[in-house]
Amino acid sequence: MSLTTSLDPQIPMRELLRLYPGAQRALFRRYHIGGCASCGFQPEETLAGVCARNNALPVGEVIDHILTSHDQDQKMQIAPVELAAALKDDAGTKLVDIRTREEFDAVHIEGAIFFTQELMQEILMKWDRRALIAVIDHHGARSMDAAAYFAGHGFEQVKSLRGGIDAWSQEVDASLPRYDLE
Amino acid sequence: MSEDLQQRIHDAIANPKNIGEMENADSVGTVGSADCGDMLRMWVKFKEQDGKKVIDRATFQTFGCETAIAVASVATELIAGKTVEEALSMSGEDLSAPLGPLPPMKIHCAQLVEGALRSALAPTAAPTAPAPAPVPQATTLFDQLHAASSPERKVKVVLKVPNP
Repeated sequence: MSLTTSLDPQIPMRELLRLYPGAQRALFRRYHIGGCASCGFQPEETLAGVCARNNALPVGEVIDHILTSHDQDQKMQIAPVELAAALKDDAGTKLVDIRTREEFDAVHIEGAIFFTQELMQEILMKWDRRALIAVIDHHGARSMDAAAYFAGHGFEQVKSLRGGIDAWSQEVDASLPRYDLE
Repeated sequence: MSEDLQQRIHDAIANPKNIGEMENADSVGTVGSADCGDMLRMWVKFKEQDGKKVIDRATFQTFGCETAIAVASVATELIAGKTVEEALSMSGEDLSAPLGPLPPMKIHCAQLVEGALRSALAPTAAPTAPAPAPVPQATTLFDQLHAASSPERKVKVVLKVPNP
């Protein structure tokens, strides 16, 4: 069943992202739109306009894809206990921590790698695109965008740690202190 | 992006050529800024060949997307052995030719490489066209990925006291 009647193709991208926060991740994962400055869009552009200048993407299909973005976001998350099990079972699992240096130095999951621009180059060029990669932030919000960025570059099993390191402290390792930011 | 082009880009970045800083470079050119995500720096070393000064080798470093890495990789191979004039005559399209035609949304990546090469080879040359006015863009996923590494971002971490 087509869902195209529930979203106007002339909707500005700013409004689209307000209504569907996962839309940008969905657009990049499948169509490579909105990931970086090269493939970005302007807030006032319409969805139809963005589709038109990206190889004339069929706007109806794109809308259907956006409307399922919430389900796609859920599939891109991994629960703390699930990740803990994966770390035990698969030595190739990678943890990428995208928080600030101050947060990382204060507390991090054992084996996590602090994200830098140099690491990003290494990931894009050398890491196995089939390996499980978990992206970690404080509460699991920004890590969704980060995971979608890598998914859009062909990483098949990149996940966002649901609830971030805060949830890990509560559900997996209570010895890892929780924290606030000032 | 077509699957064919995606595959060629994957092939190029699976074994990228000429990545990294060159310590004894004769010239360096940079375009963009690492802070905004689109930065490419190119190092060039010259040599004398048959009485002419030609490019011995070129290397690059970029914080752009994988298409920029792929274009820079093939471009640094293409310009080896060329004179400055020959290299400067190459357009972004020429420099990315081994990858095949880029879609409109990725042409910017080839222009980034062309800009870095021009900056390295003719750093004092006047630009051929006025720089376009910056266009405000929505926040990208790349911006979100790098938000915590911004030098302006300073945070204080306050550990919570566990409940007794």
